[in-house]
Amino acid sequence: MNRDLAFGTAGAVVAAGYYWLAASIPDSALSDAVGPQGLPIAYAAVLLLLSLILIARALRARQQESKMTFHVTRVAGMLAFGVAYIVVVPWLGYVPTLAGLICVTTWHQSGVVTRATVLVAVAGAIVFWLVFVALLGIPQPPGIWAQGS
Amino acid sequence: MWGILGGSLPGLSPSIAMALLLPFTYGMDPTPAIVMLAATYVGAEYGGSIPAILIRTPGTNAAAATVVDGYAMKLQGRAGEALGISLYSGLVGGLFGLGVVVLLAQPLSTVALAFTPSAYFALGVLGLTVIASLARESLVKGLMAGAFGLMVSTVGTDPVTGLSRFTFGSPELLSGIPPILVMIGLFAIGELLAQSGERGVRHAVPERPRIRFPGPALWRRIALPQMIGSIIGTFEGMIPGGGGAVSSFLAYNEARRWSRHKEEFGHGSPEGIAAPEAANNTVACTALVPILSLGIPSSNSSAVLLGGFLLHGLIPGPMLFVSHSDVVTGLFAGLLAANIAMVIVGYLMMGPCMWLVSRPRPYLTAFIYALVVSGVYSIETSLFHVGVALAFGVVGYALRYFEVPLLPMVLGVVLGFMVESNYRRSLVLSGGDHLTFLQDRVSAGLLIAAALILLGSAAHHLVAARKRRAAGVPT
Repeated sequence: MNRDLAFGTAGAVVAAGYYWLAASIPDSALSDAVGPQGLPIAYAAVLLLLSLILIARALRARQQESKMTFHVTRVAGMLAFGVAYIVVVPWLGYVPTLAGLICVTTWHQSGVVTRATVLVAVAGAIVFWLVFVALLGIPQPPGIWAQGS
Repeated sequence: MWGILGGSLPGLSPSIAMALLLPFTYGMDPTPAIVMLAATYVGAEYGGSIPAILIRTPGTNAAAATVVDGYAMKLQGRAGEALGISLYSGLVGGLFGLGVVVLLAQPLSTVALAFTPSAYFALGVLGLTVIASLARESLVKGLMAGAFGLMVSTVGTDPVTGLSRFTFGSPELLSGIPPILVMIGLFAIGELLAQSGERGVRHAVPERPRIRFPGPALWRRIALPQMIGSIIGTFEGMIPGGGGAVSSFLAYNEARRWSRHKEEFGHGSPEGIAAPEAANNTVACTALVPILSLGIPSSNSSAVLLGGFLLHGLIPGPMLFVSHSDVVTGLFAGLLAANIAMVIVGYLMMGPCMWLVSRPRPYLTAFIYALVVSGVYSIETSLFHVGVALAFGVVGYALRYFEVPLLPMVLGVVLGFMVESNYRRSLVLSGGDHLTFLQDRVSAGLLIAAALILLGSAAHHLVAARKRRAAGVPT
């Protein structure tokens, strides 16, 4: 399946799902002539039409190679670090979790972890805390250490 | 400096940077307090371009248009030149905007009053037509991305009835998805995922970390886009709800239309940076027009500025020019100083910024990831938002794989709420009569302009597709 055909198909699926959700938005006594479903249904119709056009063109055209290679495990790894950050930070707190994120991301990109990597990660997390929390006064998750204080 | 720092941190907006400063102005005299807030706004509008150029992450909504050519120049080893163009164009736009405010604040306030919901809807539609020119080789894929963006903008509370739409019962989605989340996800996180997934990652051409101001030849070349950006920014800034994001995209589009080097846009065109940056900084000044003359804020940032006025016992509006003319004069002088200081501080900050992005790539990637998650959390202290940004990062990565342009989706998200809410509000006021969009002169004019731009873009795409077919290039 060439990439335009794949994208067109994905677009059609998204349009269908979005239309189904839009059509299930309830009516309201405060509704205007168009209503809360009006424009969402129109957007779904436009996307479906464009998707069908793209699918038709893809079926007529030659197979195309994407210029970008797809390394699902490496991409999934990077994504997993971000998800892990969200899960861990309410418990461990901002500085330790951020240091961990910097450390594992550096390892993921370079393939090695050295003492310098850990030191840079810890120092970097402290600098971020100084900028966001101390200087700008924007709270970041404190973790369980702050509970009861 | 505070403004530049606030604008350059993704997730922190100019309005947040100003709001953080507000308590510190309590004990100050009114004039320096207002000048400090306004100067923060000016600095922040410029500051958003720094991460846009260096790490493909717009620091503010308005810097999204600068990402395209700014980051491309950085990859070519011309980051110093890009930053110099951005800084110089910001100065030009800021001084132009200041001149407009000083000379024409009161007369131009009538323009702000002429904008009805129909006119706002038409303005939004005009902004959306830029999608057609941002779509590059594939108009269909660009329009699909724009449609995705419009769909994202419908998430949240319906603007007329108050019903929740596409929230799946999540209270965090009731206020919708902030456009800055989408931008950070699509651009920054998407880029991080793409770089992590590609072997033999494309490395930026190494360069000495120095900012370079444009020379005489480049001055002449970017003069027209700066003028285009300044004029567009003038009108967008004074319209309540206009804002920097819309003006920067419109300015980018018009600069490309009138450029003799159209083919360079998207691949490191100096004009592609000059126009949006001039527009942004013009907006930062002309946003004062509705505040000073009518007491109406035109954006979140100008609303914080209005708060500053009220905090110091000043009532913005026509009488401000009479009862507190010293404050108004001081404000104008302070803004002049702020624009000049922006250049000095911006120049001094560039060296450390460029040194930072010249660090070994594994560390740079890790620190950008850390900056993004910290900045996104700062928007509303919500980890849910961090998750949403990651999800849009996946979307951004997928769009790159399918070779779909990202900017049309950003435009759809930014303009979707404005288009829908004003469209439906107009119909409520007209009793459901669609002729209202043609009966309102401003609306009719803007819709005609939008139609002409669309027709022109469609013709251009057809001609370009025919040329590619003739040359044997797959379309």
